[in-house]
This record gives sequence, structure tokens and C-alpha cells, in this order.
Amino acid sequence: MGLMLRSNALNLLFEDRFCLTLVVLARSQIESRNSHQVKRAASMFFHIVLERNMQLHPRHFGRNLRENLVSKLMKDVEGTCSGRHGFVVAITGIENIGKGLIRDGTGFVTFPVKYQCVVFRPFKGEILEAVVTMVNKMGFFAEAGPVQIFVSNHLIPDDMEFQSGDVPNYTTSDGSVKIQKDSEVRLKIIGTRVDATEIFCIGTIKDDFLGVINDPSAA
Amino acid sequence: MPRRRDDDDDDIDADEEEYEEEMEQPLDEEEEEEEEDRSSRKRRRSDFIDDVAEEDEDEEEEEEEEEDDDFGGGGRRRRAKRPSGSQFLDIEAEVDSDDDEEEDDAEDDFIVDNVADIPDEDDNRRMHRRPLLPREDEQEDVEALERRIQARYARSNHMEYDEETTEVEQQALLPSVRDPKLWMVKCAIGREREAAVCLMQKCIDRGPEMQIRSAVALDHLKNFIYIEADKEAHVREACKGLRNIYAQKITLVPIKEMTDVLSVESKAIDLSRDTWVRMKIGTYKGDLAKVVDVDNVRQRVTVKLIPRIDLQALANKLEGREVAKKKAFVPPPRFMNIDEARELHIRVERRRDPITGEYFENIGGMFFKDGFLYKTVSMKSISAQNIKPTFDELEKFRKPGENGDGDIASLSTLFANRKKGHFMKGDAVIVVKGDLKNLKGWVEKVEEENVHIRPEMKGLPKTLAVNERELCKYFEPGNHVKVVSGTQEGATGMVVKVDQHVLIILSDTTKEHIRVFADDVVESSEVTTGVTRIGDYELHDLVLLDNMSFGVIIRVETEAFQVLKGTPDRPEVDIVKLREIKSKIDKKISVQDRFNNTISSKDVVRILEGPCKGKQGPVEHIYRGILFIYDRHHLEHAGFICAKSQSCVVVGGSRTNGNRNGNSYSRFAGLATPPRFPQSPKRFPRGGPPNDGGGRHGRGGRGHHDGLVGSTVKVRQGPYKGYRGRVVEIKGQLVRVELESQMKVVTVDRTFISDNVAVSTPYRDASTRYGMGSETPMHPSRTPLHPYMTPMRDIGTTPIHDGMRTPMRDRAWNPYAPMSPSRDNWEEGNPATWGASPQYQPGSPPSRTYEAPTPGSGWANTPGGSYSDAGTPRDSGSAYANAPSPYLPSTPGGQPMTPNSASYLPGTPGGQPMTPGTGGLDMMSPVIGGDTEGPWYMPDILVNYRRSGDDPIMGVIREVLPDGSCRIGLGSSGNGETVTAPSSEVEVIVPRKSDKIKIMGGALRGATGKLIGVDGTDGIVKVDDTLDVKILDLVILAKLAQP
Repeated sequence: MGLMLRSNALNLLFEDRFCLTLVVLARSQIESRNSHQVKRAASMFFHIVLERNMQLHPRHFGRNLRENLVSKLMKDVEGTCSGRHGFVVAITGIENIGKGLIRDGTGFVTFPVKYQCVVFRPFKGEILEAVVTMVNKMGFFAEAGPVQIFVSNHLIPDDMEFQSGDVPNYTTSDGSVKIQKDSEVRLKIIGTRVDATEIFCIGTIKDDFLGVINDPSAA
Repeated sequence: MPRRRDDDDDDIDADEEEYEEEMEQPLDEEEEEEEEDRSSRKRRRSDFIDDVAEEDEDEEEEEEEEEDDDFGGGGRRRRAKRPSGSQFLDIEAEVDSDDDEEEDDAEDDFIVDNVADIPDEDDNRRMHRRPLLPREDEQEDVEALERRIQARYARSNHMEYDEETTEVEQQALLPSVRDPKLWMVKCAIGREREAAVCLMQKCIDRGPEMQIRSAVALDHLKNFIYIEADKEAHVREACKGLRNIYAQKITLVPIKEMTDVLSVESKAIDLSRDTWVRMKIGTYKGDLAKVVDVDNVRQRVTVKLIPRIDLQALANKLEGREVAKKKAFVPPPRFMNIDEARELHIRVERRRDPITGEYFENIGGMFFKDGFLYKTVSMKSISAQNIKPTFDELEKFRKPGENGDGDIASLSTLFANRKKGHFMKGDAVIVVKGDLKNLKGWVEKVEEENVHIRPEMKGLPKTLAVNERELCKYFEPGNHVKVVSGTQEGATGMVVKVDQHVLIILSDTTKEHIRVFADDVVESSEVTTGVTRIGDYELHDLVLLDNMSFGVIIRVETEAFQVLKGTPDRPEVDIVKLREIKSKIDKKISVQDRFNNTISSKDVVRILEGPCKGKQGPVEHIYRGILFIYDRHHLEHAGFICAKSQSCVVVGGSRTNGNRNGNSYSRFAGLATPPRFPQSPKRFPRGGPPNDGGGRHGRGGRGHHDGLVGSTVKVRQGPYKGYRGRVVEIKGQLVRVELESQMKVVTVDRTFISDNVAVSTPYRDASTRYGMGSETPMHPSRTPLHPYMTPMRDIGTTPIHDGMRTPMRDRAWNPYAPMSPSRDNWEEGNPATWGASPQYQPGSPPSRTYEAPTPGSGWANTPGGSYSDAGTPRDSGSAYANAPSPYLPSTPGGQPMTPNSASYLPGTPGGQPMTPGTGGLDMMSPVIGGDTEGPWYMPDILVNYRRSGDDPIMGVIREVLPDGSCRIGLGSSGNGETVTAPSSEVEVIVPRKSDKIKIMGGALRGATGKLIGVDGTDGIVKVDDTLDVKILDLVILAKLAQP
């Protein structure tokens, strides 16, 4: 299962924290990359090379052109989501910066930049851990980093019932297990929908070894 | 030709049959004693006159009524009363149209029949309910007739019917160019048959001069009849003088379509048990029914229905009480409760069906079982084609307690009616019937009935041919699908659960569960919301409704919208029809949040109070001070939240600049929200004393100035709105931007730029802009002023406008500009008029001293001297406070430029007179300066004292301390404990109509009065001293404590 990360670490999209956490992750990902190449479909982080045409204002030309380009690239790309590759978590390196092309009229220069980055893309059948963000009668929403996952009440074990009230939750009949906001759950993704800017998943906890892993109310 | 003859003959038969049936009815109903002679005549007449005109459905309804044992009576009586003597018509009507030689014979026959043989005829009819042949007595003639016909058609090439006709022969019968043509003629609606009969009549009267061949009225075609003739002129001739036929437009039916006109649609539906049908007529019209038994011989079907029976009415009827019959009332469908019936003393018999051995409850001739009504009806009165029961109906049909066992069988019958081409190659399917049940596979090839599937399981042949009806589409949870038919058509979502043929889908838009049949769904990666638009209005549009309320469209239904109304207190959703929408509101307005930061569309705001407190998201729409905020975590109302702008706070800039959520908020929350700096001297306009502000921007401003320099920004507001450029320099509140499009450096206010364009510096720096923004409470209000200043800005690019003048001035009127009488002048943009304009400085001569010099000295001077100088002191000093200094000497009206002029000082009664400039300004706009800034308290007003976390306590301000905090006497009269509270914990109590108030701001500051009315955000105040009536912003009004 490649890398399993505590979802709350990813939960924050604060740029700096985000980068920090993920750079660490990225490194470990790189290390484990070779060994996991075979099982690719089962991992949600990928270290891949992407290409992008960067437009740079002429004022950035000079000694620091490269740095400027890279910082702009990071700013532009990190944290975005592309349907094909998923969320770009962090840029780990620049492979190649092509020759710049000056645009007529504006003076902007377009550079084709190839960069390595870590992307996060959930797949069907994957198991991950997520933090419950909202519970309602239709099911609950959970987040694992930037990804929102919905677990429908049809995909919650039948013995768990919805309890409305101040803190809506799903509770087993004996009350031993409770899913409410901020609970951490382990779930399996059964479907994904990838938009231009968002990945939305449907998950299930109706399977062996899935369900609550950490209950805030118990603590 | 021959073909035509046949048709004619058939027609006669058919017609006659119908007529027979018609006549049967009255007979059945009629009492036996009635004189048969008379009755039959009457009936005859009515048949041909009335019923011809009557529509088919009516007839059937009558039939139905009979079946219900529900004697209408009226119709029959009407017939009975009709005078007799219409024999002539009868005869003619029975005669066929155009065969001259035969006509006579036939006519004779009929006359004889009708007059002489009536008794026989009736007897005969009673014996055979449905005589297939014409009357018995005709039989004798039949042979002769047959001979004649034989003779006539002997030369024709076509033979007996019972011989199997080959396709070629059939082809030969098709009309060709040589045959007479078919013309479509318009006639009065509902008079189709009558028109045809009239033509027939005419034909009989005129004989051979009528050159049309036939006239046909089709039951299913309203408003038209067909006339067969060789030439259009013949048709015209025939139609002449007939008032039912409008012969203006005669359309030729193309040869190819001629057969379609008269071909009978084959209704060979195999009705089998458990088929879903719908009732076509009667009380149960449109109701779903399930076939329980089919009698093909008698053409009758037993169906199971949810009864629509008014027990009370039934009881009355059974007891023989007269019930006023209300035809319009159809009782709602409800399961029959036998006990209830017994309570009403309705006799309930329990009978055993001799054939099936099942027990039925018999109530008044109706049979019930398990609450369902079992009814035997004619096959004609049900429709079995394209029946798509909705979920609701099916749900209802499923008796409580009955589990889903029966469901699958019945559901599978749904498939019987599905469209051609239902399965496509590659579809995942599952076998639902037969030996291979539950086998999954993929469609490889579709033939007529059979679908070749590639089974999933190994060890089976490569493809299997399976009957289409045994297959059902198969989906797995997680598939992304699109609904292609049914009520939810167009919606997309992900499959959450598969329950046999029923899928539960999580809709992409509403995040709600939708139940659909697997058959109605195709796999698709498309994400749509179903219908997103009706007319000009689209999902998530802000619309103005009929009753002047407004709201945002949160859902588009088939012909209505769901609109979240702009009521901030509680979410109010209305279903609105298209015509109830007045217009779309598409304005780019900006409003101010609680702390007077500008909110414009797409800004992220956080809601500070109300039911949705704590939620945050980008503002989608702004209207009348109401924000519609989109929070993707908010599941209700499609994620939209409606809130007052005053109960929100801006979190960051436009979402697109990367400031995600709480991030940027937290960064300068402290700067923007009062609690962290309750007594901050920076917050002078909010009630604190406006002290010098020397270090006001110390932290917020300095050190970040350079952050923005070099970044590409876009001007959001002001004359350069929309321009992009690079920041060259920052001077306090002003930013010099080198425009990309024009080779020019312009100066704009810092808050007027957005750096979300392509800032190459980390946006962290950019965020300081917001920080500063919130620190400087006056600038947001400055916005609209800029356009007016345009002429000057060109000369000037002078910092003096932005930096200096604005703080007071625009705060003075900007948000309330519409109310200001001086506005028109303003818009002229002519600075000269300002000073001169008497309108807005009517009673304040001193103000001229301020205004008058402005155009000349104050402004013109500035660019020259201070422009470059200005930069220097500011860089070293604090951003803002230093700014005024260079100009002070050059501006005669010095006071007005210091924003922290005394007039704002609470508790400085002398403030206004001493600052003529501001005084004048105050006069200009009724809702004066800084008033939006929040509370600036005065003694003797009622306030709510809100200690963090506690419930607010009412109190009366006793004293305002120089640092802005107040001494408050608790209790509504202020007699309680006295506490000292920072201004941030104090809230003015908004006065209501006819409350005594105290004016907290503006020229009348300190005056008391009475609130005589409220108009939106304005209060109408009668001032105590002068007895003047003033319109003042509610914000500057406070409820006066009762002494």
C-alpha cells in the first residue's frame, strides 16, 4: 500500500506546511519508488515528470531567472489538481528548462519546463485513512488531504444507525463504535470522480478491517 | 381500386358494429317493459346523431360506468326524451356512400329492416352480445349480396381473404398514382364523424354528381377528416355548403403515407400476469394497476388496483341514501380497510373464488384482497404500452409487510417495454431470469431480440445469446453514471448501492441520493447537474423575484427552480416558477463586512454570527447587503449560505490567488478583528479616541512594503480597473503601478489592486495588503469615489487625493451615496462645483473655506512639490500617519485632512464647531462619516455588553473613557453594577420604531430624537430640539436609556 499517511498531515493546504510535510513524504516515496513500481495501481502517490509552459515577465530576466522560474512554477503548480494526475503535492526537482520563446507584443517569455513532482491521486479499491468532516443522515464526508470522500449510509455497516442531534453520528446498536465529526476512519475507495480542480471519492467502510480507527470522543 | 372497395366494405362493417354496440347499451339498460318500438327508434336516432359526434372516450366512459354499476341516468333520460321521427336519418346513415347501383338495393333493405323487423332485431341482439355479422335478418340477403359482389369483383385480381396473401399481392394493393388520392380536410374539432356522415348524406342526396370516393373520420385524429377523390376540385365541390368542414385548406396525402392513414396499429401486446398497466378511463384513470388474470377470449383482464373508494359515500349508497354525486371528486387511492368498512355498517362478504380458490372480500359487488381492489375490465380500458411506474407508485403498491420478493418479478416486467437499442455493445449486463441467472457479462452484439453476451465467468462459451428480456444492465458501486430517462433524467452521479435493478446514486450536484432503475442509466464520466438552465436562468444565478425578494437558484427542477431566498436569519427555500422570476441580478457590487473591509464577489468571507456561524467560503453574489456564500462543505441548499454582509468578515482575497481557506484569515485576523486589539489605538473610528496614529501601521505596514514591489497586479477598482501592471513602488497607502498595456506609471490605492495575476513573489507578502486593508478602516469606503476623481487623477496621480482627502470624505457619503442630494453634482466630476454647490453644504458656511481652496491650491499644488517628496518620509516613517504631514502646510483647510480630527472624538462636544470642514461634510450626507465604522459611543445610550463567551447584558453607557472603553451601568436603566468595557465588547442596541434615540454621529451627533420610521438601513428621525425630520443611517442611532 505504498505510503499511508496520516491524513491530518495532509489535511491542511497551508502552502508552507503542505510543502514541508509532503516533501518529506516525497522523499520517502522516491526511495520506495522502485520497489513499488509493480504495484503502481495500489499506491496513491506518484513521483512523475510533468511539463509545463511557463510565462515569465521580462523583469525576472537576469541572474535569478532560473530561481524566479522555479518559484513561479512552484507557486503555480503545487496544490493544484489535474484530472489526469491528481493533486500536485510538491515539486521535487527540475529536469529541464527548454529554450524560452519571446512572445510578440508582451515581452513575456515562454519556457517549457520539465519538472519532477509528487502527485497524489486516489484510486478505486484503495484503502486510506481519513478524518470525518461531516455526518448526516445520508452518510458522512471525510477528508484525506485534499480529497473529499463520501461514505453513503448504504456503505456503512448495517448495524450502525444514524443518530441525529447535536453531534450527529453513526453508532452501533451497542454503542461501542461511533462515527462522528473528527473521527478517524479507515475506508476503501470505491469510486472517484475527477474534476478539473477537485477529486471526489465515494468510499465504503462495509468491509473487513474498515471503520473507525480513532474516536475523538473516546479519548 | 379493388383495394378501395375492400376498405369501404370493411368500414361499413366496422361502423355497423360500432353502431350495434351503441345500440346495445341502451337496450341493456332499458327496462323490459318499455315499448320496444318506441325505444328503438329513439335509440336509433340518438345513435346516429349524438354518438357520431361524441368522442370515442365518452363512449368508453359510458361503458365503464356501466361496469361500475354506476348509473349516470342523465344521458339515457335525455335520449328517451328525444322526439322520434328520425327514421329518415337512420336509413341514410346506414347506407354506404358511393355505389349507385347497390345503393338502391341496400336502401331498400334497410328500410325494410328498420320498420318491419324491430322486435326480431332486438331479440336477436339480446341473444348475441356482440354480433359479428350484421343483423340476422340480413342473412337471407347475404348470399345474394355475395353473388353480386363476386360478380363485380370477378375481374379483379385479388382473391379470397382467407387465402394466405403473399407479399407481392399485398404490394399490388398499395395505392399508386393512378388511384384516387387522399385529401386531408380540416373540420370542426369533435365533429369529425359528423362531418363524414354529412358528406355521406350529401352523397346520397346528390347521387352521382358528388365525385368524391369516400370520406373517413379517424378516431385518433382530431380536427381533420380524409376524403378520397381524384381531384382537389371534387373535394372542394363536395365540401361546399357544409359548415363543419373548412375547405380552405386541402392537403394531399402523399402516396406513401396513404396506407398509414388507414392502417390499424397492431395492438398485439401480450398482456400477461404481473404486467404493469395503466387504467385509461374512469375513476382510476391513469392509475397503475397490475394484471392478475387475463381472459383472452372475453377480452377482459383482471387487474389489481389501489382502491379509490370513499367509504362513507359507499355506505350511503348501499343504505340507499341519496348522495349528491360530485363528479369532480376522485377519492385518493387508499388501501381498503375491511374493519373500517364494517364500522360503517357496510356489508362485507367473504367469498371464495371458485377457480383460484382465493378468498375475496366482497363489498357492494367489488372484490378486495389484502386491501387491493380486484377489478375485471375490458382490455380496451387499460393501456399496457410504455408503462413506466415511478418509484413512488411501486412503493405504494408494495403492501406494507410484503417484502421485496414480488418486486423483482414485477420489475422484470418493466423491461418488456423498453426501447429498441437499449443495450449497446460493451454494456455490462447481468442475467436476471432463467438458468443463467446472475451471470454477468458484456454485450458483444445485439440482434433483434437476442443479445450476445460475453460472460464474465470462465469455462463458458465465448458468447452466449440471451433474450433481451432476461438481461438487465449491471452497475457496480463506484461507477459514475448518467441518468438517461425517467424523472431524474440528466443527472449524473456515482453509484452507491446496487439493489437488483435499482441503483442508488449520489448526485454530483446535490450530494443527495437518487434512486433510479438500472435501465435508465448509462455509464458516463460526464458530470452534469441534470438540467441547469431554464430560459435565461441558470443554476446558481441570483434572481429577482416577482415580489421583489431575491435569491439564488440552488436547484433546477423540471419546470421550476428552487431558490434560496435572501433572508439572512434562516434559510428559506422557495419553489419558483419561471414566470415568477423577474430578472437576473448580475451586478458587480461590493459591500462592507463588519469591519468595513470591502467584500466583492469571490472574496472569501467567514460568517461571524447567525445560524451558519463559523462557515466560510467565497462570496458568489451580493445584493442589498446580503451575501450569498458558497461553502462546499455546506450540504444544504447546494452549498449556499445567505448572510448579512455585516455579520461576515473577509478572510482573504479572491480565492484564486491561492489563499486557501483559513490560512490567510488567520494571518491577519488579529489585524482585522477587534477582539485581539480591543483597545488598539489604530482603531480610532470605532469608538476609540483618534489619537495620533503615530505607530499605527508600524507593524502592519512597514517591512512589507517592498514585498509587493515587482509583482504583477491587477487593478480591481477605480479608473484603472482591469488593468494589469507591475508594482514599481509603494508609498504608504498608494501603489505606483506600471501598466502593461500603456507605457505609463499610475498611482492607485493599495486596496484597489489584486495581486492574483501572476505575482512572482510569494503571496505571503501580498497578504499584507489585506492586513493593511483591515487596519485602515477608512479605505474600503473610499472605493466609489474614485471615478469622480478621475479628472484630477490624471494631472495628479497625486497622493493627496487618495491619501488625504478620502478618509473623511468618502467615508462620509460613499456607502450612502444615493441618498446624498449632492450626488448629481459629484458625478459631473467637476471639482469646481464642489465648493460652490449649495446643495450639500447648505448650512455650513465654514465648509467653503475648506472646499473652495481645494481645486486651486490644494490639489493643483500637490503634484508639483509633494509628489516625490512624499515618498521619502513615508518609507522611513509609518505608512500612513506620516503622509499628511507634507501637505499640511500647503493645504489651507488643514483640519479636514486629518482624519483623526476632533469631530470623531467621542465626548468632545466641541468637536464639530471647531472643525468646519468636517462639519460641512457632515451636512452633505445625512449619514455621516465613519458612521459605518461601528460603534462610537455616547453616554446615556442603551447597549448590550457582551463579555466574551457570556450572553449579552443590557446596560447604559455612563461615560466614555478617552481610550474608547466605556463605563457601563448594567441593567436596562443603568442602575446596576458599573463596569468598564472595551468598545469591542459593547454593542449598541438598535432602536425600533418610535423609540427614543440618540444620534451618535454626524452633524446631529449628541442630539436626541424619536425614531418615527425605518426604511431599510435608514431611520427616519424626528429630532427633539429642532423638530426636524431627518433620515439617518440606523447605525448611528442608538436607543436612549429611559431616565
